[in-house]
Amino acid sequence: MVTEHAAATRRTSTIIVMALLVVLLALISLGVGPVRMSPLKVLETLFGGGSDVYRVIVQEIRLPRTILAVAIGAILGLSGAALQGLLRNPLASPSLFGAPQAAAFGAVLVIALGLADVRSYALPGAAIVMAFLSVFALLVVAGRNAGLLILILAGLAISSLAGAATALAMNLSSNPFVALEIAFWLLGSLEDRSFRHVMLALPFITIGAIILMSQRNALRALSLGEETAQSLGVHVGSLRLIVILGVAFGVGGAVAVTGTIGFIGLIAPHLMRPLVGYDPARLLVPSALTGAALLLAADIAVRIIPSTSDIKVGVLTSLIGVPFFLYLIMRERRALGGGVG
Amino acid sequence: MRERLSLALIGIVAATSIAAIAPTRAADLPRIASINACTDQLLLALADPDQILGLGPYSRDATRSWSAAAAHRYPRLSGEAEDVLVLKPDVVVAGSFTKRATRELLKEQGQNVVTFDVAHSLDEVKAQIRKMGEVTQHPDRAEVYISRIDTALARTRQFVAKHRYRVLSISRRGWVSGSRSLMSSLLAEIGLTNAAGELGLKFGGFASLEAIVKLQPDFIVISNDSEFAEDEGRAFLLHPALEHFYPLSKRLVVPERLTVCGGPMVADALDRIVSEITRAEHNAGTTTATH
Repeated sequence: MVTEHAAATRRTSTIIVMALLVVLLALISLGVGPVRMSPLKVLETLFGGGSDVYRVIVQEIRLPRTILAVAIGAILGLSGAALQGLLRNPLASPSLFGAPQAAAFGAVLVIALGLADVRSYALPGAAIVMAFLSVFALLVVAGRNAGLLILILAGLAISSLAGAATALAMNLSSNPFVALEIAFWLLGSLEDRSFRHVMLALPFITIGAIILMSQRNALRALSLGEETAQSLGVHVGSLRLIVILGVAFGVGGAVAVTGTIGFIGLIAPHLMRPLVGYDPARLLVPSALTGAALLLAADIAVRIIPSTSDIKVGVLTSLIGVPFFLYLIMRERRALGGGVG
Repeated sequence: MRERLSLALIGIVAATSIAAIAPTRAADLPRIASINACTDQLLLALADPDQILGLGPYSRDATRSWSAAAAHRYPRLSGEAEDVLVLKPDVVVAGSFTKRATRELLKEQGQNVVTFDVAHSLDEVKAQIRKMGEVTQHPDRAEVYISRIDTALARTRQFVAKHRYRVLSISRRGWVSGSRSLMSSLLAEIGLTNAAGELGLKFGGFASLEAIVKLQPDFIVISNDSEFAEDEGRAFLLHPALEHFYPLSKRLVVPERLTVCGGPMVADALDRIVSEITRAEHNAGTTTATH
């Protein structure tokens, strides 16, 4: 009883610390930009004071960017934790399974064909459909109790397919700038987004988050094994579909406004596991907070690192994420079956 | 004033065309093919219709070509060497920046290839019009276009001198063109202050949304007033922060087809700047009146 109580306290304090970190990073994010402003001035303009110029810079340029970083980082962390719980596999994450790449293909298709304004709901709509199809296809191909290797291979194949389809969509476009635009898009960026983008992404991210959170007890039951979960009344087949749907809504909505930002969903749950334990249900909220903190930090870093043209935040998350992924593979290589150690 | 000038111009061009079409002369004039969007437009302006054997692949693009409507009467070439060789032109006109391999191939096949640089300034525009006048053997027409540009320039300078506005010309994604661009050259020639210098972007570069908002030029110059954002690059110009300070009434809209190439259309670009400033002033007048 005592240890359980201690674990609960530790989890609560972790959540509080992470929440405070997110708030702190969000404030820093509001203070960082090409136009220098003191922290006091930022706070003043945030609450409607200051000159017109500074108010617009903080409220219309930096605030939507910060809100998107929090929401998108959170949904990526949450999706990663939910997928790792669903597949009972610590290497699961939306980006390894090609979901963001597929979502990007959906959005790119809309851009390349010039079908709709990039600030319309057609973009998240197409992205969500493609994200759903990709994760669904992955699970169909890999089967119910797929091993690590099969999942990763199938994910690689789906990523490549989405990449090729994206390139084809680019070639079919009549917009002469489309190649550059899509190249930038695929790198992932939060730059110069407005409240129109927030309105575009937030509803879907919220729906995705609600769906994933609603399955936390089922995910916990599943961590005891599929048969135990079934004896506890969990319908594993429908759990699978619901989680995919949640991930598709979240990732699709996010990708539609920022392009592909990878590896947040992979890293966030790993950072939290040592602190809150291996229960997938208890991992969801801390992972979401960690995801938000990670993306905020990355998005602050791209604005601080001196460079002639802006660094894309998706590039930075991959630069950090890929070595981390390689480290995970090294740690898990016995499970992969080819280890020497 | 402007209409009368254009009418006079049409008269001159028509008169010379009729003279040129006379059978004794037509045979002597060179027959020309163009494989570049800018040479397309110079050729259409200066040559007789029966001198033009074919135009480049983008000649009919109405957003980028000033003479897209006229281009429909001529064959559209692929821009590659094959269809040019079949036409056996006396002269092939091309851009000096693109299609290097195609140009080399055409030269090897004994074609007379004349290349045109990208025009960076008003002087270069005039030089290119003269050059095409020589290629088409209609130097008289070239001089008519050049004097039309000079008239428009004098008129625009006079108009702008009254106001001394500070403007910033921005393209998609916040691209600000450097001093060696036709747009910057036009702004400088007519006496508008180009705020790009204050951004430290003398040689061109991307300006951040925050920097533009902070800079507060009197007007921004853009190429398109559509509210449709076909991609994120275009959405930059429709960002609420930019629209807050620069609603359509504070945007000078100068279409791409008037500034992307050097040619007779530059006179239209100058006239367009005047009419856009007039519109912006009129809007400012009515908004202050209603306040």
